[in-house]
Amino acid sequence: MTLGATLPAAVRTRFDALHGPAMAGSRLDRLAQSLGLPAVPADTTPPVTARGGSVAAVFDGTGGADADALWLPPFAAWIETVDADDGAAALAPLMAAAAAADLYVNLSTGTAHDLQLGSRLLAALAARHPLATERRDDIELALHEAVSNALVHGNLGVDGMKELSAAELERFSRDLGDRLADPRLAARRIAITVRIDRTDGSKDGGGEDGDCEDGGGPIAVVEIADDGPGFVPNAVQPGAQPGAPQPDHGASGRGLALIGTIADGLEICDGGRRVRLRFRL
Amino acid sequence: MDYGIEVRDQEAVVRLRGRLTFNDHAKLRTLIGEMAQNPARRQVLDLSSLEFVDSAGIGMLLIAREEMANANKQFILRAATGQVKRVLTVAQIAKIVPIED
Repeated sequence: MTLGATLPAAVRTRFDALHGPAMAGSRLDRLAQSLGLPAVPADTTPPVTARGGSVAAVFDGTGGADADALWLPPFAAWIETVDADDGAAALAPLMAAAAAADLYVNLSTGTAHDLQLGSRLLAALAARHPLATERRDDIELALHEAVSNALVHGNLGVDGMKELSAAELERFSRDLGDRLADPRLAARRIAITVRIDRTDGSKDGGGEDGDCEDGGGPIAVVEIADDGPGFVPNAVQPGAQPGAPQPDHGASGRGLALIGTIADGLEICDGGRRVRLRFRL
Repeated sequence: MDYGIEVRDQEAVVRLRGRLTFNDHAKLRTLIGEMAQNPARRQVLDLSSLEFVDSAGIGMLLIAREEMANANKQFILRAATGQVKRVLTVAQIAKIVPIED
């Protein structure tokens, strides 16, 4: 990982190698060649590169993404190929996006659903910046909630549990299962970029989150984008107790409020298809 | 998430382990059914081995509480620690469900 200050803004991470933990060697070689990178064979553990730089992990579908070590340095990008028959052409723009970030994830919904991505991202982030236990827990929850929203409500279009009843839990359960089984929905992507900045630069600030603290410490800016239809957030009432139970709350609806209490900035962009979170580290 | 149920005279203690998230909807459906079925009047959820809970997990706990109320059973959360304790506090669940140490 690089912090950007010493590199042109467009490149924050230089990848030295491509690793395909569950990919046939010939296919990995072909993808790596198309990107001009050396391939790290699947049986190399840990995958250390000669130049000590970052490694991008690529997957065809669900296989191989759940090893803990895969989410620690030198790995800085986790990308599922778009088309298992080829993938090389589609991979290049995703690798470019990864190079512009400090950490980058681009997976299908079907793959991301079972991965506990919030916890994975937290591990990757904490490996680069030490965090106190409570802050770790909070940031993991905020990441997890944002990822869950993108997958469940965004890409799969499943409504939250509105009533406090077993019947509503059953409906949620059934909808989630049905939508995940729909290949068109399961193929929708979730894209996550993480940038770690020494100071909270105002250049990509949205303004409305109103953070006016002195921007001395490092800050992580996390963007989570989905392929769903977006959403209109409920108006946030100033001074409202975030996450507090409200009379009209069903079993769902606390996620965004919890994110709001934890993150130092929460912006909803692209009509609800992208959220940008900031965390003081 | 995994769980085990121990039914004593008046009390069933359900010990939750691991991570309770939106992904556990099927297990929670089964668990709520089992809690409604067993004869104990008091249904205690021992959270001491639960490592992580998300907002959907909290929602499912509230559904369990509602279903127990419908079955005339008491529903109690016990021994939350770490992240779980923190989230229960932030979401002010103690206003809705009795929480014991």
